[in-house]
Amino acid sequence: MKIAILLKQVPVKDATLELNGDGTWIDEDDVQFEINDSDHYGLAEALNIAKDNDGEVTVVTMGPDRVKESIKQALAKGAHQAIHINDEDVKSSDPLTRAKIIAEAVKGENFDLILSGLQSDDYGYGQTGVLVAEMLGMPHATLVVETEINGDKIKVKRELEGGWFQNIELPLPAVLSIQSGLTDIPYATIKGIMMAKKKPVADVEADDLGVELEGGAFKLEKIYTPVKSKETAVLKGDADSVVPQIIDKLKNAAKVL
Amino acid sequence: MKDDKTLSFMKSLFMGEIQQEILFPYPQQDEDEKENLKMILQAWNEFAENSVDPVEIDKIAQIPDEVMDGMKEIGMFGLPISDEYEGAGVSKTSYCRVFEEICRYDTGIAVMFGAHASIGTNGIVLFGTEKQKAKYLPKLASGEYVAAFALTEPGAGSDAAGIKTKAVLNKNKTAFILNGEKIWITNGGVAQIATVFAKTTVQQNGEEKEKITAFIVELDSEGVSRGKKEHKLGIRGSNTASLNFDNVVVPVENMLGPIGKGFLVAMETLNTGRLGLAAGCIGGMKELLRQAMDHAKSREQFQKTLDRFQLIKQKIAKIASETYALESIVYLTTGLHDKGGIDVSLESAICKIYGSEVVWDASDEVVQIAGGLGYSADYPYERYLRDARIHRIFEGTNEILRMFVALSGIQGPGEYLKNVGKALRNPIKGFGLLTGFAAGKVKDTIARDELKNVCEELKEEAEQFNALVARLAAITESVLRKYGKKIIVEQYTLNRIANIAIELLGMAAVISRVDTRLKEGKSIEKDLPLAKLFCNEAASRARREARYVDRNHDKERSEIAEFLSETGKYPMDMLMEK
Ligand SMILES: Cc1cc2nc3c(=O)[nH]c(=O)nc-3n(C[C@H](O)[C@H](O)[C@H](O)COP(=O)(O)OP(=O)(O)OC[C@H]3O[C@@H](n4cnc5c(N)ncnc54)[C@H](O)[C@@H]3O)c2cc1C
Repeated sequence: MKIAILLKQVPVKDATLELNGDGTWIDEDDVQFEINDSDHYGLAEALNIAKDNDGEVTVVTMGPDRVKESIKQALAKGAHQAIHINDEDVKSSDPLTRAKIIAEAVKGENFDLILSGLQSDDYGYGQTGVLVAEMLGMPHATLVVETEINGDKIKVKRELEGGWFQNIELPLPAVLSIQSGLTDIPYATIKGIMMAKKKPVADVEADDLGVELEGGAFKLEKIYTPVKSKETAVLKGDADSVVPQIIDKLKNAAKVL
Repeated sequence: MKDDKTLSFMKSLFMGEIQQEILFPYPQQDEDEKENLKMILQAWNEFAENSVDPVEIDKIAQIPDEVMDGMKEIGMFGLPISDEYEGAGVSKTSYCRVFEEICRYDTGIAVMFGAHASIGTNGIVLFGTEKQKAKYLPKLASGEYVAAFALTEPGAGSDAAGIKTKAVLNKNKTAFILNGEKIWITNGGVAQIATVFAKTTVQQNGEEKEKITAFIVELDSEGVSRGKKEHKLGIRGSNTASLNFDNVVVPVENMLGPIGKGFLVAMETLNTGRLGLAAGCIGGMKELLRQAMDHAKSREQFQKTLDRFQLIKQKIAKIASETYALESIVYLTTGLHDKGGIDVSLESAICKIYGSEVVWDASDEVVQIAGGLGYSADYPYERYLRDARIHRIFEGTNEILRMFVALSGIQGPGEYLKNVGKALRNPIKGFGLLTGFAAGKVKDTIARDELKNVCEELKEEAEQFNALVARLAAITESVLRKYGKKIIVEQYTLNRIANIAIELLGMAAVISRVDTRLKEGKSIEKDLPLAKLFCNEAASRARREARYVDRNHDKERSEIAEFLSETGKYPMDMLMEK
């Protein structure tokens, strides 16, 4: 069984972020990167399914050279091989274009199952998995909390709103996005780390896949840090003079009265 | 003249010689190793962040099974064991960096781990036969077996050569019968195997002699019993217990290293083990600094946070510069060890002495920075203090190690002086001796060896270093002339010599680190103040020690101590006396 996990590299959670020159993204120069949190759960599920079904896990990661580190980490956690889609020159951040690139890159691999995390911690679109499924003409399910392979089908349990769950069955090959927080994240073992170097990583150039990179479905015009709108005012004086001031604030500034 | 055996940076300092080719450039890991290390640290941190609770470990005085199992699962137990035997086979440098990070979370875990990986396993790695390695290392790597190192006995602590445990070869020469008691054994209550040191009868020049031999002992063997867990001041998670051997049958295949060479096995094992311990102290220092800053930046007095006051800055700067120096000497030493062919026994001992003392001082100062909270058992500060204290005691007390540093250091010049002595007695035969062995050294000493090409930024520090090396060589020579062989009992003097050597290694390592960074085009902006503060403080401490070699109050010291030995207590009562 061939399983792919779409795994993204994002800035570390406590990174100090600065905007880049034209205000369209962050300045990545001094930022450290790590595996996107949700994707750990996708990887965990992929490894579990592989273990029970004699499968092989391929990490599929798009990004510049720095993502090699996250790829190696996923290999150290037990994935068997990887595809690195080098998009050093791709400035497009639109999920449609990205999904097209990924779909092109994995098309020939004939995966039985393609997993992704819930969403990425940088853009947070949460669309990539679904879009890839559409482009490859595969069925998909999101927010998956349980899986069970059943011959050429897969049974999945999805988490819905309000404590509801849905059980459905999809024919394979299929695409699933895995809900976070439910499986134990696998630790990299030290032996795994030492072996990771020896596992195959296929390099694919995004430019060579014939996907139109310019344009895209939409364009990020500008990002900015939230403008502080809250203010703290210290009201001074005795009770008689402060009370009317508080009432005024609550009525006219906070507009709660 | 340099043969391989004299290739030791510290030992040559005692001759006034600075082996720059050892010191520069500061050792570096290659990119591949660095990347692996980064991932190993990440794996450990991910695990430890979720699973290690030092407060709980201190309270229950035990490392929970989940932590042990998790560490085994990650593969930590096999860190220094080569992949041939199913370990990770990382370098000493990587090993120490990981050790640092273990100690940052919990010193008790680090001590358990060190007893297993640094000293419990290392004997087999260094001296084991193919068969022994194949039998034990994979199990030690997986953690199926936890290891211990059993040298200390009730009657033999510092004087390790005085052990009484006895191993006697049985009649058909298939096994040794082991009898005796070992105490203070880390992992003693939990280990599956131990390297045990015992006296054996050895034939030497037709005579029977009692010499130490090392054995791998499986602790589930009949006749092995374990004492109860020691109740300790700190590192309470680590298990310390005695081991009793009552007619334990140890197959001859389990002899570790040659018969009669057990002392060498013990010393070599400890030599490298000490580096792990010193690295643990770096982790401790870093964590202490983090805790100190957390507190100092939030606690306000006199309308200012504590970190704004100079007396707090002074403490913080001291701890930080000592952390910098400790890092510098530890990773210089591990780097040289990894390169191979260089004797780092003195450097390792110095790393252990220095690390254990600065981490103790730091934990004391951090308690001070925390004020009343520092004294509260509801806050972590007092635990760091308790945990840090052990490092000065085990793996060779700092007193014993100082004697080791000084005596091994002056051994070289001692040999040389013997030759000079001979040469002077017999000038004609002696001429050969002088030109062949020592003439170069005499010239070197007179010419005064110097650090060359050190960056402008640390020129003054390098000059102080050069002057102190010359001073160390001169002191060594003069005390050797004065005391000859009897130097061995002159502990006041040996202690001063060791202290100078300790400061010199610190200065050398720091200078090399900064200089190498600069020459590689890296920024030294953050390094410089740390390096300068450390080097200048170290140099002034070393100069003071050097001054005291000749002008001191050792006579009074001895008088006082003798008096107390006689009376057994403080001999005066100021107010009640007539
Ligand atoms: C928590 C813990 C864990 C340990 N783990 C292990 C272990 O795993 N394996 C093991 O084999 N041992 C272990 N030890 C034992 C440890 O190595 C010894 O305690 C240590 O070597 C000191 O020996 P001692 O306790 O007999 O003290 P002593 O040798 O009696 O020393 C007492 C004091 O006298 C000083 N002193 C002794 N001789 C001299 C001298 N000639 N000149 C000047 N000063 C001197 C010492 O420096 C020390 O300050 C452990 C000890 C502790 C406390």
